[in-house]
Amino acid sequence: MHSVTLFAEYLRDGRIKLDKSVFAKERCTYQDPCNVSRNGGCARDAREIVKYLCEDFVEMEPHGAYNFCCGGGGGMIPMAGPFRERRLRAGKVKADQIRATGAAICITPCHNCYDQIRDLNKQYELGIKVLSFKEMFEHALIIPEELKAKEDEGEEGEKEE
Amino acid sequence: MAEKAAEFNPEVFKKTSDEKMSARLKMWLEMCAHCGLCADTCHYYLANEQDPKMMPAYKAKKVLDAIKKKGKIDEATLNSLYETVYGECTMCRRCTMFCPFGIDVASIISMARGLCVSQGKVPENLVKVIENYFAHGNQMALTQEDWIETLKWMEEELQEELPGATIPIDKKGANLLYTVNAREPKFYPMDIAHAVRVFHIAGEDWTMSSKGWDDTNLAMFAGDLKSAAYVSQLVRDAAEELEVKRVAITE
Repeated sequence: MHSVTLFAEYLRDGRIKLDKSVFAKERCTYQDPCNVSRNGGCARDAREIVKYLCEDFVEMEPHGAYNFCCGGGGGMIPMAGPFRERRLRAGKVKADQIRATGAAICITPCHNCYDQIRDLNKQYELGIKVLSFKEMFEHALIIPEELKAKEDEGEEGEKEE
Repeated sequence: MAEKAAEFNPEVFKKTSDEKMSARLKMWLEMCAHCGLCADTCHYYLANEQDPKMMPAYKAKKVLDAIKKKGKIDEATLNSLYETVYGECTMCRRCTMFCPFGIDVASIISMARGLCVSQGKVPENLVKVIENYFAHGNQMALTQEDWIETLKWMEEELQEELPGATIPIDKKGANLLYTVNAREPKFYPMDIAHAVRVFHIAGEDWTMSSKGWDDTNLAMFAGDLKSAAYVSQLVRDAAEELEVKRVAITE
């Protein structure tokens, strides 16, 4: 199973909880990795996580199973060398999609998409942050009191650092 | 290993295409009506001034033409095929969603990459990573020592925040085996800590494996299916050995 499905399951079952206020001021969009959404069928799981995580979420058009490839798939990222320029050119479609959402954060749960969109961010000056779900969880996860480090005791009401 | 036959061998080309040409692939290749509906589904087509050579149907036809010649192709044709199948398609399968016949162009391209593999025509960097899988069990050539050390380091990092958090290694019978992309221990070690945080808070009964922990398979993307089978077997073996119930792959 993909982590996206697992994380959605944890949230659904109440095993982890997120503080939605953490990213409330930043508009988010989601890049569907081909092998996760189109070929893996996990597009809905990702949207479920988004509901727990983002206040301001805008879909790319098109999205889900019909979303475009970021241009970094099929081995394109590690192939590097002579393939790099073609990869960045083909990524223009994705860059345009992201820009149209007006998002400040592009979430993607795939290392290929992640590296490609970070490159596109520079190439097409998108001015966005590229994050995986677990990177966002680092800030948004609500840590139960009993799991916190001892010195934090007595500092209740402190929501985030 | 990735075959590295340096010279063009028409006989091997024909033999490989005969072996790879399943009824399904043959049907797809012959069925394409060149209707062009796939054209603007492809990001290469859209990003390259609607160059007809970037149409998925054109790329599929190029593969068909090469196969029809039954190995009687010249090196220039092979080189041109190589550029198309590795450099002009990410096998994303978006075109298939719009094809009236549901032709799976990605499978056609993957097969053609396999033909290139049979001629030793594989992007250099992919050859290297495939060698890494065989030598070290992961694409980044991390030694087992490096891997375990990285896990210990991440465990310590996280314990500053969550004193009880641990990374169980090779825990038999765990509910969940968590595998990662080898780029994580190499370039993004904090990704591992982020995942541990989630499992710890969720109270998951989980483990990581000392071997068979890289869930990437670049041999598959290379079109080198023999090696790809070996690579995916590594994770499967780890899961079976540890008798876990589920295997999760990283984001």
